[in-house]
Amino acid sequence: MFKKIKLLVLAAFIVACNSDDSGKSGNTDTDNFDRGAMLENWADNIIIPSFENFSGKTASLEEAAVNFAEDPSEGNLAILRAAFEEAYLEYQTVAPFEIGEAEALDYHGFLNIYPADAAAITAKAEANSFNLELPGSRDEQGFPALDYLINGLGETDTEIVSFYTSENENSEGYKNYLTAVTARINALTNAVLADWKNSYRDIFVNNTSSSSTGSVDKFTNDFVMYFEMDLRSGKIGIPAGAFSGNPAPETAEAYYSEDLSKQLYLKAFETFRNFFNGKHFNSSQTGPSYKQYLEYLHSIRGGENIAALINEQMADVVQQADALQSNLAEQVRTDKDVMLAAFDELQKLVVLLKIDMLQALDISVDYVDTDGD
Amino acid sequence: MKKILFAALVGGIAFTSCSTDDDVIYPDPSIEVPETYTFTRNGESTVSFSGQTTRILMAGELFGDLLNPEMTEEKLSNMFSNEENPFSSEDLNSSSKDIKSKVAASKLYFSSNSVESNAIKSTFESWISEQVTDVFPNWETLAEEGVAGQIAQGDKTRYVNGKGIEVNQIFAKSLIGALVTDQILNNYLSEAVLDEADNTEKNSEGATEEGKSYTTMEHKWDEAYGYLVGHPSISSESPLASLDSHEDKLLFNYLVKVDNDPDFAGIAEETFEAFKTGRAAIVAGDYELRDEQVAIIRRNLSLVSAVRTIYYLQNGKSAMANEDLGTAFHGLSEGLGFLYSLRFTHNPETGEPYLAPEVLLGYHEQLTAGNGLWDVTPETLDSISEAIADAFGITVAQAAE
Repeated sequence: MFKKIKLLVLAAFIVACNSDDSGKSGNTDTDNFDRGAMLENWADNIIIPSFENFSGKTASLEEAAVNFAEDPSEGNLAILRAAFEEAYLEYQTVAPFEIGEAEALDYHGFLNIYPADAAAITAKAEANSFNLELPGSRDEQGFPALDYLINGLGETDTEIVSFYTSENENSEGYKNYLTAVTARINALTNAVLADWKNSYRDIFVNNTSSSSTGSVDKFTNDFVMYFEMDLRSGKIGIPAGAFSGNPAPETAEAYYSEDLSKQLYLKAFETFRNFFNGKHFNSSQTGPSYKQYLEYLHSIRGGENIAALINEQMADVVQQADALQSNLAEQVRTDKDVMLAAFDELQKLVVLLKIDMLQALDISVDYVDTDGD
Repeated sequence: MKKILFAALVGGIAFTSCSTDDDVIYPDPSIEVPETYTFTRNGESTVSFSGQTTRILMAGELFGDLLNPEMTEEKLSNMFSNEENPFSSEDLNSSSKDIKSKVAASKLYFSSNSVESNAIKSTFESWISEQVTDVFPNWETLAEEGVAGQIAQGDKTRYVNGKGIEVNQIFAKSLIGALVTDQILNNYLSEAVLDEADNTEKNSEGATEEGKSYTTMEHKWDEAYGYLVGHPSISSESPLASLDSHEDKLLFNYLVKVDNDPDFAGIAEETFEAFKTGRAAIVAGDYELRDEQVAIIRRNLSLVSAVRTIYYLQNGKSAMANEDLGTAFHGLSEGLGFLYSLRFTHNPETGEPYLAPEVLLGYHEQLTAGNGLWDVTPETLDSISEAIADAFGITVAQAAE
């Protein structure tokens, strides 16, 4: 396997010496898989319905925040918290789709960069002066900021509510900040959804080219990168200290919520697994996706059944998750080895996706660790 | 990630099959070129370049603080000149070295050209001033045409002036030329420095400097080498071992990046080999062989700034086509810095920069006129890229990847 790659590389390179084309090395057998049908299934049965569903949740969230700001009671806080948890869970169903308007707006950057900068949020809420459109304020908004504003300001609900009542001389600032964060989550979501519905759906589905600018190549890179960076590293690896050797429970998702982080992880993983298998949003029906594409390639080329290997490893990930506590920050504090074990299972999947799957699909990885300058 | 692997796999082949300009020089068999950059006399190392390491570390700290809006112009300017103990490290504060006095200060290009040398030093000071006066006050503002402030580049936040330029980037990338390239190519590797006074005679006799283990010529050569590999995170004896993991932000870092482009794979190894061979030639008193290595180093290290200028201009052009202004401005800001650095390149065939200073200044003006990067057209980026590629005998496509 490895030898074969080397030869391909050499061949490709020698060509590149003479002319400057950067064409793909390509597999010699003909790939007649219907990419258009797959893109259609992705857009019409998964991505757009997921955003439609999610935008309902972000509208309810904004409404609950406005109600709480108008009447800051413990009862309304509980309603807001329930809307927050529901929206945060459903956010996981759109998180892998960083393409089109979502990419242009840095949608995910504004909705879910954690840990939140609690000190900056406090300072700006108290000053009642902030601009959430600033790219530098990404970690001061979205779900992590909301988590802090409704769960992290005090030990008890009474204490939290007191930030928003006349007991607190800065309550106006806190109310404004809270409603601005929820309004922005909702507005950005509607912008992404509207773009899918108005124009991007056709652009996405019709771009069936197998080049690096084609929808399949581009989306697949985003999809695998999401898995590697957000799901594996963000939710599990970084809090567990898998890279640094230093456990960092405070970097867990939904840090101020008691029992949300594992649910978010499972929801994100389920979304990823369903997408791989082409399962329609909120339905048991399936359509063409990576699984079917890989099975098709396997049927004409033989070799290993990569789709099956990936599904087996996905089952292992879910099984390992049984051992995780519902609060992943607490899991890191009490027994980080269980988190590290989760990371190891996810890492096996990264290898299958990023190397085996991408090679089978003849897609080059277009992301690298940035140079940090 | 994959790319680096490719470069490693094809490195050797790429170099022999693609490069056209190198006539392989076979060193005199009596000259012993060591495996690593290790030279000794009576069992004692003769290699020393602590002054270069110091300046590289000073530059690193200054680059970091150019992005700290709490900083004052005076403090940053003091870091540039090492006055008033401006650094966090005592070692740097107590050092007699500083960055500014070595900017545009090579013997070959600037010893009798103090007007331009002073103007270049002032340009660096003016960037510090601009960052503090125009960019810092707008740290919490969204950038617009004519307005300094924040702009998003992917998941990062960049800070630009009203022309869309990251002043810290133009400062840093220009310093690669004005300090590092200029000192290596036009100062320490110039005959005016290597062969100054009775250096040659003393070197041939093996007469060392008083109280030191090295001859003056050996030391000058090592100081050139130190500007390239002097960052403490680089193995200076075997710099190839540090290609994938180092913290240098100056010339070494970009030599590595050019080396990772399959069109230029092998340039790092060839450059380090030339440094090693040239140093061995000095030990053996073979000055012809030494000068052949100087020519290779001048060509290769000049090429780094050229390839990176074109790379960033083209990167900016495609980002603009995608309406990704944050990425475009970031690339073009780095490109502007490398463009500035081309003033300090050295064409071994002419003894001068590959492009005349006034031509480069013209390009700089084209890119920064009016509202600067907000106004730049793809045609301008292409025409400048092509002119630079022509001057260096490469193609835009090779440099742009």
